[in-house]
Amino acid sequence: MKSFARRFYLFLIVLFLYMPIFVLIVASFNDSKILGTWKGFTLHWYRDFFENATMMNALRTTLVIALLSATIATVLGTLACMTMAKMKKSTKNIIVGITNIPMLNAEIVTALAFMLLFIGLGVSLSFSTVLIAHVTFCIPYVVLNVLPKVQQMDSNMYEAALDLGATPIQAFFLVTVPEIMPGILSGFLMSFTMSIDDFIITHFTRGSGINTLSTMIYTEVRKGIKPEMYALSTLLFVTVFILLFLVNYGPKSKSTKKHKSLTQLMFKNKYTIAVSVCVVIIVGIFGYQLLKDDKEYIGDVYVYNWGEYIDPEVIELFEEETGYKVHYEEFETNEEMFTIVDKKARVYDVICPSDYMIEKMLENDLLTEINFDNIPNLEHIGKQYLESAKGFDPENKYCVPYCWGTVGICYNKNMVNEEVNSWSILFDEKYDGKILMQASVRDAYCVALSYLGYSINTLNEDELKEATDLLVSQKPIVQAYVVDQVRDKMIKNAAALAVIYSGEAIYMQEENDALEYVVPDEGSNVWIDGWVIPKDCQNKEAAEAWINFLCRPDIALMNFEYITYSTPNESARALIEDEDIKNSQIAFPDNSVLSRCEVYNYLGTEGDNLYDYYWTIVGGAESD
Amino acid sequence: MGNKLIDLQGISKSYGKHMVLDDLNLYIRENEFLTLLGPSGCGKTTTLRIIGGFEKPDKGRVVFDGQDITNLPPNKRHLNTVFQKYALFTHLTIAENIAFGLKIKNKPKAYIDDKIKYALKLVNLDGFENRMADSLSGGQQQRIAIARAIVNEPKVLLLDEPLGALDLKLRQDMQYELIRLKNELGITFVFVTHDQEEALTMSDTIVVMNQGYIQQVGTPEKIYNEPENAFVADFIGDSNIIPGTMIEDELVEFLNAKFKCVDKGFGNNTPVDVVIRPEDVELVAPEKGIIQGTVTHLIFKGVHYEMEVMANGFEWLVQSTKMWPVGTKVGIKVDPFNIQIMNKPESEDEEAVGVDE
Repeated sequence: MKSFARRFYLFLIVLFLYMPIFVLIVASFNDSKILGTWKGFTLHWYRDFFENATMMNALRTTLVIALLSATIATVLGTLACMTMAKMKKSTKNIIVGITNIPMLNAEIVTALAFMLLFIGLGVSLSFSTVLIAHVTFCIPYVVLNVLPKVQQMDSNMYEAALDLGATPIQAFFLVTVPEIMPGILSGFLMSFTMSIDDFIITHFTRGSGINTLSTMIYTEVRKGIKPEMYALSTLLFVTVFILLFLVNYGPKSKSTKKHKSLTQLMFKNKYTIAVSVCVVIIVGIFGYQLLKDDKEYIGDVYVYNWGEYIDPEVIELFEEETGYKVHYEEFETNEEMFTIVDKKARVYDVICPSDYMIEKMLENDLLTEINFDNIPNLEHIGKQYLESAKGFDPENKYCVPYCWGTVGICYNKNMVNEEVNSWSILFDEKYDGKILMQASVRDAYCVALSYLGYSINTLNEDELKEATDLLVSQKPIVQAYVVDQVRDKMIKNAAALAVIYSGEAIYMQEENDALEYVVPDEGSNVWIDGWVIPKDCQNKEAAEAWINFLCRPDIALMNFEYITYSTPNESARALIEDEDIKNSQIAFPDNSVLSRCEVYNYLGTEGDNLYDYYWTIVGGAESD
Repeated sequence: MGNKLIDLQGISKSYGKHMVLDDLNLYIRENEFLTLLGPSGCGKTTTLRIIGGFEKPDKGRVVFDGQDITNLPPNKRHLNTVFQKYALFTHLTIAENIAFGLKIKNKPKAYIDDKIKYALKLVNLDGFENRMADSLSGGQQQRIAIARAIVNEPKVLLLDEPLGALDLKLRQDMQYELIRLKNELGITFVFVTHDQEEALTMSDTIVVMNQGYIQQVGTPEKIYNEPENAFVADFIGDSNIIPGTMIEDELVEFLNAKFKCVDKGFGNNTPVDVVIRPEDVELVAPEKGIIQGTVTHLIFKGVHYEMEVMANGFEWLVQSTKMWPVGTKVGIKVDPFNIQIMNKPESEDEEAVGVDE
């Protein structure tokens, strides 16, 4: 009974440890895309994975980095061990302690430290920075494995080799290295595994266009989990599992076996297997790449864009038609992008920031003028949008508008029985508890300032105070200040009125046809995201080719259909087949709407602080 | 015995502030079995490592076969070393271990194979070619280490406490084995040990060292029977060392009694140390002894009994085939030939410096 309980407990522990991985592995062979329903065994997620160029690229990068960093770390670490073994015990203990700390240190700290170091030294993040970082964090694992072997080794062995006529170099390679080889191999395999495994440090030190499997998965997962991921993750797990197995059960059996033939065969075989597995994978990947890379290649272009802000097919088309290789990276906020570009952490050729951020980048002298001779497709961009863009790019020299939209009111026709054409309705106590506001400072003040008839970029303290008082007084009737929940709440009829972006309105209407969108008569904000070229761009021609390509009507249309934000491309709009959308007042409002809207300007640090100061007053006010 | 093969001239060596060897002068003759004997820290291993080339002396020269090899690296010296912990290469087979030096020198394969066979036969381990080093016993490993060294046909074999890690029985067997090897090979052995029995058994010449100085050089018989100072006497075998006074030639007084001896030339009424080996102390009936005492301890040692006798305030160590039970009153007698007189050191330092010829 007792032993049954013990076994059952052990079984639970193992189950607990391996259940998640088991589910993943099963899912990778499941024909159904939906987790939890088994539709039969399939290998096609694996096939999809091997056919996915992005993933194969990431796999190749991962293996190259792992192989290089493990090799370099093994050489450096082993040499360090030779020196350490000769030190006095007290000194050695201190050094061993120092080399151990990085292993225990929080990875995020190491990662940030690396990024700061590289940026501080003015080194652009690239393949090399990832490699340097990987070598660094692998060295402690090599020391951990090699040092005990060096210490175990009879120090007289090296001398015996010299004594028998070997030169110091011969003695090192013929005696010392083979004697500590098990440690060296363990150190190498462990480094290799750690490098494959790493996400955080890679994420913070990678240059533009460099993606390892882990950073690639991270990026992809934000867009939704594809079953290829299960296949990939399963392969990763199995590889790491095999390698670790070999590390732990490799050379140990050696000393107990009596005869050379058997021992040596065992010993050699295990490592031969490990090494040949690595070699086969790598050769396979490169071979595959060679077969695959049949396109004409004329250069690289590094693109930095918002997440989910392009139709992936557009990238492929661009590569096919121009021969440029696109290295496509995404950011989540303008501020994140600004830091990377300003600190020159990574270098991009073409970036897509928002209006006020473009202004800020111009003030920081980060952008270069676009040569519009290379962008004949600019003629397809509506003049009114270029006019609006002058709010942040006064002479239209630096930016080509990509997407745009307005801030307005979304209301539910079934709950609001009056005509909505003014911000005033958001202050009507009739709708107590049914109003949703945007939880961002500029959008909140956009509502109040527009309603009061002031500029949404005002720096006049009296006007800001007045707007603040208005927002404070409105707060009791507001259901909530929200960001993403606005969609769900409006679709589910959980609120009657909400401040939203026009781009979301089309989607929301499709889900709930009682919803309407309007830009109030007092005016509002119009936002424009546009392509700009940073000063330190490496391939301006490629950047301009990219911008020109995106301005081509058929391409702009593809993007519009994929991302649903309004396009400033008039010719693309003309190509839209669905009449409802083509004539949608939401997607393509009258010029009158646009002309009564203002873009957000960059307010400078002091301006930002001023808004933030009043915003905290609103945030602290009683809501009920 | 042949010519001087190795000549150490004025060798000094210190590690930091610690002086290990101070102006050491020593020569080793061709075909000699020379043992460096002394307690740990006496400088014997350092001396061996300087001969082997693993350490460079701070001062002095190492002359080998007429050539100054002080700055020659170990791999260029015509001598080989057998290390204390064998230092066999564990990643190689026994045959590969033995062949190591020959392969480095690019000897032909047939020659190497012959040598391996010959060497294994010499150390009585034929058929061990394909074993791994760590599957062998300590004694077997030791023999392989010797085989690995001698296939290179060195003129001198340096052995650094090679028997230290073996158990007693095996150690004794290996002593005979080493003597046999030395005779068969006809080369010079320089042997380091702290075990006086090993030194006495095997050596042609023993060099007793202490605190970086040579205390006495001589044949085992001379070292044992005529220790030149108290350190040697104490270190080699057991001794009764008693302070006394040389009254005149051939008469010494200690423990309030006068003893006849054979030593001369110490002057009259000179303070000296008297050395008497325990086996040279004769226990007789009280009235027949020069001094009288009581047996306080008794141990049976196999070949003889070992007793401690308290007499005139000194505890005598006595070895005899005759047993005297504890508590027995006994008399003590010593044959004049068995009394060894040594000059008293004038200071602590001199005790270490000892006598240099």
